[in-house]
Amino acid sequence: MGALDGIATGFQVALSFEGIMFVLIGVFVGTFIGMLPGLGPISAIAIMIPITYGMDPTLALVMMAGVYYGAVFGGSTSSILLNAPGISGTVASAFDGYPMAQQGKAGKALAIAAISSFAGGTISVILLMIFAPMLASVAISFGPPAYFALMLLGLSAIASLSEGSTIKATISAVVGFMIATIGIDPQTGTSRFSFGSANLLDGIDFLVIALGLFAIAEVCYLIMNRKKKSIGSAKEIGSLKLSKKDFKEMSGPAGRQSFLGFILGILPGAGATIASFISYITEKKIAKKPEEFGKGSIKGLAAPEASNNAATSGAFVPLLSLGIPGSGTTAVMLGAFLVLGLQPGPMLMTDRPEVFWGIIASMYIGNIFLLILNLPLIPYIARLLTIPRPMLISLVIMFSFIGVYAISFSTFDLYLLLAFGVIGLLMRMFAFPAPPFILAFILGGMMEQSFRQSMTISDGSLSIFFTNNISLVLIIVSVLSFVFPLVQAIRTRKKEKAEA
Amino acid sequence: MKKFLAISLFILLLGFLAACGGEEAEETQAESEDSEESADNNESADSGSDGEWAPEQNIEMVAPAGAGGGWDTTARMAAQVLNEEGIIDQSIGVVNKEGAGGAIGWSYIANQEGNPHHLFVSSSPILLVPLNGQSDHGHEDFTPIANVIADYGAFAVREDAEWENLNELFEQMKEDPSSVTVVGTSSPGSMDHIQFVRFAKAAGVDITKIKYVSAPDAEGITQLLNGSADVFSTGVGEVVEQVRAGEIRVLGVTAEERLEGEVMSEFPTAKEQGIDEVFINWRGFFGPAGMTDAQVAYYEEKLKELSDSEAFADIRSNYGWNEMFMGSEEYQQFLDEEKENLKGLLEELDLLAE
Repeated sequence: MGALDGIATGFQVALSFEGIMFVLIGVFVGTFIGMLPGLGPISAIAIMIPITYGMDPTLALVMMAGVYYGAVFGGSTSSILLNAPGISGTVASAFDGYPMAQQGKAGKALAIAAISSFAGGTISVILLMIFAPMLASVAISFGPPAYFALMLLGLSAIASLSEGSTIKATISAVVGFMIATIGIDPQTGTSRFSFGSANLLDGIDFLVIALGLFAIAEVCYLIMNRKKKSIGSAKEIGSLKLSKKDFKEMSGPAGRQSFLGFILGILPGAGATIASFISYITEKKIAKKPEEFGKGSIKGLAAPEASNNAATSGAFVPLLSLGIPGSGTTAVMLGAFLVLGLQPGPMLMTDRPEVFWGIIASMYIGNIFLLILNLPLIPYIARLLTIPRPMLISLVIMFSFIGVYAISFSTFDLYLLLAFGVIGLLMRMFAFPAPPFILAFILGGMMEQSFRQSMTISDGSLSIFFTNNISLVLIIVSVLSFVFPLVQAIRTRKKEKAEA
Repeated sequence: MKKFLAISLFILLLGFLAACGGEEAEETQAESEDSEESADNNESADSGSDGEWAPEQNIEMVAPAGAGGGWDTTARMAAQVLNEEGIIDQSIGVVNKEGAGGAIGWSYIANQEGNPHHLFVSSSPILLVPLNGQSDHGHEDFTPIANVIADYGAFAVREDAEWENLNELFEQMKEDPSSVTVVGTSSPGSMDHIQFVRFAKAAGVDITKIKYVSAPDAEGITQLLNGSADVFSTGVGEVVEQVRAGEIRVLGVTAEERLEGEVMSEFPTAKEQGIDEVFINWRGFFGPAGMTDAQVAYYEEKLKELSDSEAFADIRSNYGWNEMFMGSEEYQQFLDEEKENLKGLLEELDLLAE
C-alpha cells in the first residue's frame, strides 16, 4: 500500500462518526488534565488502559493519542496564569507567559499559546504524514555520543537563561545536576544519595521539582509580599485580539520551532520538555532583542509552545515505526498497544495500516478541535486571575499537591514538593535563577548516562565524541555558543572603554 | 457574573478531578479496611486451620509495576479469567504499586503479613533486585503460591552482523571480550545482563570482561540498530517485530526447546548450539508471609484451574507466553535453587550487595 492510500485509509478512520467522537473525547479530557497543574497525560492514559479492554484498538489509541497531545496543548494555561506548569513540557512556557499575564495581557498570552500550539501540532502532523516511513532512520541515528553532544548543546545555554550573575546561574545549575544523580544508577545498579530510603530509589520526579520551584515558591513569595501592590496584582485580562504586528512577531518562532521541535521529538528520550527548552534558547540566541526574553516576550512564548506540541507528534515516530517509547507518556502508550493486542514496530504500517495512519490522521483533526475548543474558552479561563488572591493561592497549592500525589501516590513526594518550594523561595530571595536548575536537572540525567554509555563502548577513550559525525557537529556548535557570547561581551566592553 | 463564571469553572475542574481520583480513593479505602481486618483474619484462620479455607472478602492483586507492563498485564488477565470463569467468587481488584523495579510494591506487601486477601505477581527480579541490594525484601519474605507462565530471553544482532550463531560470537568474545558491546534495558546485575552472562560463562567467556551498557529508556534496540552496540539481550517478545522487518537476527534464545509461534519457532536455542544452559523468566503469584497451609492450598488449586482453563490458554497465545505451572512447594524449591545460582554469578561479577 502506498503512502497516499495509507493517508486516505487514515482519514477514513478519523473522519468516521466514532473516529470523530473519540478524538473529541480524547482532546477534551487531555486539555482539561493538561490545564490542572501537575496532572499530566501519563496518569490519564494509565487510568484509561483498563477501561479500553475490548474496545476497537484503533479508536482506543486515537483517543489516548488525543489525551496526550491535548494535554500538551492545554498544559500552557496554568504555566501562563499561575506560574504552575500544567505538565513538564510547558515549564518553559512560564518564562514569558507568566510575566505577560502579570502585565495584564493574560488573554493575549493564552491566545498566542493556543495559536502557536496549533501551528506546532499541525505542521508536525503534516511532516509526519509525508515523511513517516522515512523518519524511523532519523530516530535511530543518535547513538550515546550524539545524545551526549545534544545535551551539551542544551547546557551551553545556561548562561543565556539567566539574568544577572553568571556565577549564581552556574551554582544553580550545579545543584540541579547533583539532584539529577539521586536514585539507582542504571550503569552500575547501585543506588546513589538515596540514604537507604526506598522513596528515593527512583530519583526525584521532574514535576515535583518544577512545581516546587515555580508554583509553590511563587505562592510563598506572593504571601510574603502581599502588602506590596505592584507584585502579582494582575486583575486585567486584556484583549484576546492579536494585532498584525503580534502575528508577525510570533509567526517566525512558531514556524521555525515547529520544525526543530518535531525533530527533537523524534529522538527517543529528548521529548517535549527538552525540545521546548532548546527552542526557547535558540529563539533567544537569534533574537534581535534578547533582553526582552523573560519579561513577557511574544517570541519567548510562541517558541516553546510550538515546539512542545510539534515534539509530541514527533514522539509518535519511534513509537509507531520502531516500537520504541521515547518518553514516559509514550511508554504508557506502548503498554496500551500491547494490552489492545497490537505490537507497534516496523511492521505496523504494513500489518495494520488503519491503526498507523488512523492515529496520524486523527491528530490532524484533533488539533483543529483543540483550537476550536480552546479559543472561545480563553476569556473564561483567563478570569481565573480575577478570583480573590487568597482563594487563588489556596487553589494553586491544592492542585500542586494533588498533581504531585497523582504521580506515584506517595506522600513522600509531597514533603519533597514542600522542600523544593522552600528551596525555590530561598533561591528567589537571594536572586539565584531557577531555570538553569531545572534545565540542568532534565539534561543532567541523560547527559551522564549517555556519557558513561559512550565511555563503556569506547573503552574509556574520549575520541568517540569526535569520530561520530553527529556528535562532532553538535559539539562544535555548542563550543561556538559558549565562546560567541564571551567574544561579544569582550568586544562591547572594549568599545565602552574606548568611548569612555 | 464574571466572578461567578470563573468560580463555576473551577468547581467544574474539581468535579472532574474527583471523578478521576474516585477510583483511587475507593481502593485506598478498601486497603485500610483490609489492614484493620487482617488481625481478625489471622485469628479466624489460625483457629480454623482444619484444611478448608475460602476468602471472606475482595482480593487485592498487586502489580508491583505501572499499567501496561508484563506484571500488570499478567495480574489483570489472571484477575479477569479468575472472576469471569467463576474460579474465584470474591471479586479481584488489580492495584499498581510501581517504582524502584518492584521494591515499592514488595515493601507494601511485606506490611500485609498474614493477610490472605493480598496477592501479587512477580518474576526473576524478585531474586535479582534484593541480591543487588536495591530491595529489602526478597522471595523469602513472601509465600510463593504458584508459577503460571514463562518467558525466555533472546540475544539479537544486526542483520549484517558477522556472527552466524552464538558459538561464533562467544569464540570472538573468548579471544577479545572487549570487542563486543552488549546492550540491555536493565542495569548490570539484573535480568538482561545476567541472562547473557550465564550463557557466556557456559561457553567459556571471561564474564568479568564483558562490556555491558544499560539503556534504561527502552532505547536498547536503537543502540543495536545504529551500531552503538553489537548484541541486544532482551525478552523474546521484544525482538519479533524487528526480525520480521528483516533488521535484526536472533542468534539464540534461552529456552530449553524451540518456542512456538510463526517467527519464534525459527529462533535456535542455545542448547541446540551446544551451550548447555537455560534461563527462564518465570512469572507467578505470591502472597504475604504468614499464610496458613489451608490458604496456600486454596490459592494453589485455583491458580491451577486458571492455568488449565481455555480462556487463559487463549491469553497465553495472544501475548506469546508459555505455560509453566509449579505448585507452592516446587516453586519454593525452584526459587531457592535459582537464587543460589544467581548469587554465585553476581559474586563472580562483584555485583553482590554486602
